[in-house]
Amino acid sequence: METLRFARARDLPPEGEPLEGPALDPSSLVGTWVNFDAASRGIARLVIKDDGAGGMTVRTFGAGFDEPRDWGEVPGHPFSDGVALSPAVAFTALHHFGSRTVTLACYLNKCLLVVDAYTRFQDGSGRSGYFARDHFYIP
Amino acid sequence: MDTATWMRAEERLAEGVVAPGGIADLSALLGTWFNTDKNTGGVVTMALAGTPEDFTVHAFGAASPEPQDWGTVPAVSYAANVGSAAGMAFSATYDFGFVETFLAAYTKSGILVLDTFNVFKDGSGRSNYFSREFFHR
Repeated sequence: METLRFARARDLPPEGEPLEGPALDPSSLVGTWVNFDAASRGIARLVIKDDGAGGMTVRTFGAGFDEPRDWGEVPGHPFSDGVALSPAVAFTALHHFGSRTVTLACYLNKCLLVVDAYTRFQDGSGRSGYFARDHFYIP
Repeated sequence: MDTATWMRAEERLAEGVVAPGGIADLSALLGTWFNTDKNTGGVVTMALAGTPEDFTVHAFGAASPEPQDWGTVPAVSYAANVGSAAGMAFSATYDFGFVETFLAAYTKSGILVLDTFNVFKDGSGRSNYFSREFFHR
């Protein structure tokens, strides 16, 4: 068997544990996630769907307006909790609007979805790129 | 500014706040950060250095007998809001060829919290995985 390359110990599977393959099961992430904070000025909700091909889609809605602002649907990239596991427990997604880029870095904490948004502006407005965190649940 | 250009309310500068022109202060981030778990299988240390225009991370991965030197890559800093010039978070990407590691980190109460999102590109059958670790200076 070919020796696996690694950049840190966690890149290697536990001894004797078979690799389940690169296909991840995103089912624990799928659903409509609503911000715990109804007064949030960040993200109001996310709609996550299984794309049927081991991936997922993410549709984000911005908060703080009369109606949530639809950011559109983008691919989501699922991640497990270890190299030999298949249930997805985290994901990333990238929303690019031309004048700004928002990278969503998200993970499950029990039944809570933690969403960290890393935003960069390219519009010359002088606003700082910023980090924001919101917590979501499935009603 | 037209409200249509906002994707969420927090992108708007507070009344009377002038746009800072970007991040100018990295003092909350700069330095060498050590994993609080001495037996980690993930990232052992990270050195954050430079200026807002030339900000870098130099990480070391857990390995035996010595940590693996990942080298230095550019990093992007983030403030706590659009009107702040103080960096408190960063992101960076390491591409090792066989695996790509996205680092997403933020500081809170003097601790740095690091999330890594790791994508394998070598067809080894390993699952892409997520990790979360804590660091102190």
